[in-house]
Amino acid sequence: MRKILFAMVVTFIIFMSVACQSNKDEKNSSSDKTAKASGDKVEITYWYAWGDKIGENNEKLTEMFNESQDEIHVTAEYQGTYEDLHAKTQAAFAAGNAPEVTLNEIASIGVFAKSGMTENLTPFVENDDINLGDFIPGLMGNSYVDDELYGLPYLRSTPILYMNTTMLKEAGLDPEGPKTWEEFETYLKKLTKEGEHVGMSMPAGIWFYEAFVAQSGGQMISDDGTEVEFNGDAGVEALEFWKKIEDKEYVKVPEGDEAGDIAKQDFANERAAMIFSSTADLSYMLTLAEDNDFALNTAFMPSNETHAVPTGGANMVMTAGLDKEKQNAAWEFIKWMTAKEQTIFASKYTGYLPSRLSAVESEEMKELYKEMPQFKVAVDQLEYGHARPMEEAYPEISMTLQDEILRTLLDEDLDPQEALDTAAEKANGMLQQ
Amino acid sequence: MTWNKIRPYLMISPAILVFSLFFIYPICYMIYLSMHDWNFVSPEKNFVGTANFTNLVSEKEFIEVMQNTFVYTALTVSLTIIIALILAVWLNKSGTIYGFVQGAIFSPHIISLVSISMLWMWLMDTDYGLLNWFLNLFGLPSVPWLTDPSTSLLSLAIVAIWKGIGFNTLIFIAGLQSIPRDIYEAAALDGTNRIRTFIKLTLPMLSPTLFFLTIIGIINSFQVFETISIMTQGGPINSTNTFVYYIYEYGFRFFKIGYASAAGVILLVIISIFTIMYFRLLARRVHYQ
Repeated sequence: MRKILFAMVVTFIIFMSVACQSNKDEKNSSSDKTAKASGDKVEITYWYAWGDKIGENNEKLTEMFNESQDEIHVTAEYQGTYEDLHAKTQAAFAAGNAPEVTLNEIASIGVFAKSGMTENLTPFVENDDINLGDFIPGLMGNSYVDDELYGLPYLRSTPILYMNTTMLKEAGLDPEGPKTWEEFETYLKKLTKEGEHVGMSMPAGIWFYEAFVAQSGGQMISDDGTEVEFNGDAGVEALEFWKKIEDKEYVKVPEGDEAGDIAKQDFANERAAMIFSSTADLSYMLTLAEDNDFALNTAFMPSNETHAVPTGGANMVMTAGLDKEKQNAAWEFIKWMTAKEQTIFASKYTGYLPSRLSAVESEEMKELYKEMPQFKVAVDQLEYGHARPMEEAYPEISMTLQDEILRTLLDEDLDPQEALDTAAEKANGMLQQ
Repeated sequence: MTWNKIRPYLMISPAILVFSLFFIYPICYMIYLSMHDWNFVSPEKNFVGTANFTNLVSEKEFIEVMQNTFVYTALTVSLTIIIALILAVWLNKSGTIYGFVQGAIFSPHIISLVSISMLWMWLMDTDYGLLNWFLNLFGLPSVPWLTDPSTSLLSLAIVAIWKGIGFNTLIFIAGLQSIPRDIYEAAALDGTNRIRTFIKLTLPMLSPTLFFLTIIGIINSFQVFETISIMTQGGPINSTNTFVYYIYEYGFRFFKIGYASAAGVILLVIISIFTIMYFRLLARRVHYQ
């Protein structure tokens, strides 16, 4: 027994020393590598979300930045979805090794700024006289926290309607798309063929719900941020409409974290004739449509009392507590990434909005819009863009609300008003904490 | 003389050091955090006393999470053990076929849970999954495995059972082989039938193994995380949200470390009860043998 114990202790010590050793080696070799690659450059790290075209876009832009100058070297690292990115950034910040530059999904700007994880960018902008007026005004609503600037619009979007026009034409519908909720319902009805395809595959996501509430003339949270308003008339009308089209089986409601991907899959496989999705997916969807041999058009989300959509996407932020040198490097990078040429590049590459007025009016974008009018829809729709709520409790409120919405859709007897009241009561408690 | 006294302590000091650093310290810190309101980064932690705990137990969602965890554990542990026991009795023979089957059912145990989750997600996909394709082939309707609140927890239990059977079977076989042959011979001489032999002889002789697997199974099931994180994220409608995922969600998605720690403390207490029970009863068993 003693021998065994002794052996175990010895193994343990050896293991530990080997582990420490290899750790050291790793550090040495990695710093060697970067030293060789970058000389005396300032090293900073940049974390981004989403893969495919969006990921490629981030990697390419970073590479272009590194080649454009020789003072700063940026390493771009993929972190998953926005939620993964936020969770990892927070954990890394608590552990003291957060990336210098990262992205905040626009509804989370408030959480990060208020808990002191991101740097106030106002002094940088003032020192550098950047023309903030060039950013599209509708995109700036989620950049300020307590009147201080915390992020610059980077990869920004609005939800748009994607339509399989090949199917629309077969059903004898105008490929320009439905203008109002009423027309939308007619479209859904005509595009539903039992056992073959549904009118739409639509996750019961809060982003879309925000759009429907705003289209009915309401909002999610009161202007002073003290109580929720989604259980008012507009919110109830939106959910009643969702319940109606779900009960008639015109829409399929995919669930879970992958719901968005499932919806896109349904659309690509022609099991759904339409979907709502971010404009960011446009260039990806166009390739899918081409591969599967159908025509694709985009349109505004249909209107109820008014046209309205939430904006979406991510703003670029700097983490707090960096030394002067890193701060300057990070600021240079943010400035470059959000500049006119880069926003044009990103918009063409992915379908995200060009975030600057000068970019929208540039010859390059105009040419693209002439060639591919699908790209222009989101920009035009931005006229009706709304900022997303930024309260610290909003992520938690979203989850509670989403559960109640899903419950209403699945349970035929549950009244929308009742379900929203339940969610509102909980949410108000969260807001007051 | 003093050297002899110090030496054992010196010998175990690395282990104790690691143990205190990675177990004792985090536990104390968690208990400390559970009495505060903190978001992980802000410099001040507000002392709130037992408010986190009272909020937890009055939260409907948390009660659901407790229920889910208990149902999941009961399902997983009981079914895994019953199936594994049957397989073990069947496989407790020598021969290439039996060896192969033993190896085959053990293989899920060594695959990473993340890969397993991805695999089953694909199998259980409502529209494009292999399981539903198979059901449709026989004219049966599709099952919304992971997308309906009434089936999602059961689907996760199926994955856990599939993964757990191999390990349990192996331990049962080891247990069966350690039962002395002569008592079976004695039973055969007395003309006892097979079922009676199993109930009166095999089961009691196997009880330490049975007990070990039950407790380990309960402790593991209480800590289920990977499959949930990858396959359902606690949904749809909170139907698969269990303890550890709930803690993760509040700690890392909503930045409420105090609240999450309070849930962690409750989990710690429950698991401690099972562990103590295990050692107490085990001590008695060992004595009895």
